[in-house]
Amino acid sequence: MKSPLFQRPLPQRSLRVVHSSLSPQRRNTVAPSRRRGTLWYALCLPQLSTDTLGTVPRERLQTLAQALDCLSPVVSIQGAGQLVFEVGSTLRYFGGIRQIRRRLHAIVIPLLQAWGLPTDIQEAVSPTPAASLLLSSAACGLAIRHRDELRNALGPLPLHCLPLQEKQLRKFHRAGLRYLRDIWRLPSHEIGRRFGRDFLLYLDRCLGNVAMPVLPCKKPPHFSSHVDSGYAVENTQALQPCIEQLLQQLCKFLHQHELAAAHLHLVLHHERQQPTGLHLDMRRPSRDPVHLSLLLKNRLDSLALQAPVTGMTLKVHEFSPFQPHMTSLAGIQEALQNPERESDILPLLEQLQARLGNPAVRSIHCRNSHCPEQAAEDLAFGEDRKAPRLANTQALNKPGASRPCWLLPQPVALLLEEGRLYYQGSLHLLSGPERVETQWWTQNEIRRDYYVARNRHGMRLWIYHERESQNTQKWFLHGIFD
Amino acid sequence: MPAHPPTSLQTLLRQTELWRGSEHALRASNPDAHSPGLATGYAALDASLPWGGWPANALVEIMTPLWGNGELQLVLPLLRRISQEGLPALWIAPPCIPYAPALAAAGVDIARMIIVTPTAQNLLWSMEKALQNPASSLVLGWPARLNGKHLRRLQLAAVTGQTLGILFHQRNIAHSASVLRLSAHAEEDMLAVTVLKARGSHQQARLLLPRQWP
Repeated sequence: MKSPLFQRPLPQRSLRVVHSSLSPQRRNTVAPSRRRGTLWYALCLPQLSTDTLGTVPRERLQTLAQALDCLSPVVSIQGAGQLVFEVGSTLRYFGGIRQIRRRLHAIVIPLLQAWGLPTDIQEAVSPTPAASLLLSSAACGLAIRHRDELRNALGPLPLHCLPLQEKQLRKFHRAGLRYLRDIWRLPSHEIGRRFGRDFLLYLDRCLGNVAMPVLPCKKPPHFSSHVDSGYAVENTQALQPCIEQLLQQLCKFLHQHELAAAHLHLVLHHERQQPTGLHLDMRRPSRDPVHLSLLLKNRLDSLALQAPVTGMTLKVHEFSPFQPHMTSLAGIQEALQNPERESDILPLLEQLQARLGNPAVRSIHCRNSHCPEQAAEDLAFGEDRKAPRLANTQALNKPGASRPCWLLPQPVALLLEEGRLYYQGSLHLLSGPERVETQWWTQNEIRRDYYVARNRHGMRLWIYHERESQNTQKWFLHGIFD
Repeated sequence: MPAHPPTSLQTLLRQTELWRGSEHALRASNPDAHSPGLATGYAALDASLPWGGWPANALVEIMTPLWGNGELQLVLPLLRRISQEGLPALWIAPPCIPYAPALAAAGVDIARMIIVTPTAQNLLWSMEKALQNPASSLVLGWPARLNGKHLRRLQLAAVTGQTLGILFHQRNIAHSASVLRLSAHAEEDMLAVTVLKARGSHQQARLLLPRQWP
């Protein structure tokens, strides 16, 4: 395989440019000992240009970028089949630019072959990403080590290599400018005035006078692992070793990526039936294998297996960055007298939610409403973060207006006989009425007179009289005080 | 056979496992043997309990003839204090969802209240897990069915987790392992409370507590 990098004759202008070129004939290539500042390696793959093939090349470029992750801390996808990655920081580690190039080819060419694409690679190295991209798209095959060599090296490039619009190119042509070195001869304020400040900025980025922002390409992490149990497992207890194995892999993955899992998705495979899926949302992301194992065990305990399990897959695709304060050092929290004690109870709540289901653990809230049913709200724990919170005020509770600690989900009709109300014995009114009239703008208009009553057993009850009700039943029990 | 270190009578007496009949002797001789109790908010009730309030890590039963008979009055001051200290309180299987505006009006920080509504089979499991966890400072439970064995397990869980568990139920259970048993019922505007059993005390007090307006 021959790459255009070595097909072109090398420019023989100065010793330094020649010295830092990527020629295999030259012994003195960029030496790690002379490392200064950053170096950007650009790859131009016209066969992966987005314009010709649509969306697939983007995914392929991402696959490439991930494969190149082992060469550089920053790999970025630029449009039209171009990749750029920083090699200045890894130069010493890999032992020179030539070694990096060798490794790069070992990664990229098999991938291109696997996709059935031509294996031509245009590449270039320079101290600025913009210049590297420009040089690689012009198929120059240059490796430039120092910023002060950039101007010389870019000079012979024809202007049509630059990412410019047709209109602007015509403008250059009319002005008699053919190559970048023609531009270098012009004063910069003139360039800015004639060809726009964006063009000036681009030139500055190429020459490294202005930094170019490079967005690193990082695919969202994804974990998926499968374990075969070897034989058909019929009870959930026997699944535990497989789960431990999967969780160990997961925790290793999380440690490597400095992440914490925000949920777990466990799929139990059966011999003939459809696989069973278990989804476990976590209130607080975790990477503690003991905690995760406990949650899964609780969930499995409450599960009735439909069929024997032959294997299982654990998938996680939502993560959050691991924060060390998630695991407090024993005793430090007490020492600091941290008032935020909610975090301590979260493992318990997660354990309860894992077994009972998310809606079984609830939190209660006040809402801004005169209607007694709507003044309170209970939400599944975890959803409450999204809901607007009303402070612990009783702004709407009129002073003297009393509310019961228990509000019945549905008002209970009271027995009315010979002018007396009965609920587990005859009632007698203690206070009232308190008139509640609201929601006249809806179908369910509320016009009630509330009373506090006491029955034979001493229970204090909150009852109301429906005013202007169509049905004959007019008295209801709505709450019990204490 | 290894030689046991000589145990004096004083060291024996200091052990909390050793139950002594007279609570006065207990408090006078060894005040730190029992962890101090949590004030109930009712001076008369505090005075009649050997801990000077609710026992700190133990199981308490409150028996009422009917649900909603004033028993919540007994725990409202405790709920108020615990929630204002920023500690969570779990309500496990309450007869219905507690009404947030009323609790807020009573001074309880409702953000600290966590309601758990398990199925009937999982109720006792949830109670045990909640009691075993040291982070849950107060666990209120409304168990549907309960026997002596359950109570013993829950009491052990409360000791393990150093949690105060309060159970509300309507039946008198034989061989109860709980540390404190109260029976409460409303009488007009008062709350009649009978101390049926308090570990470390042999007096059966009967008190009439004022019933506060929520």
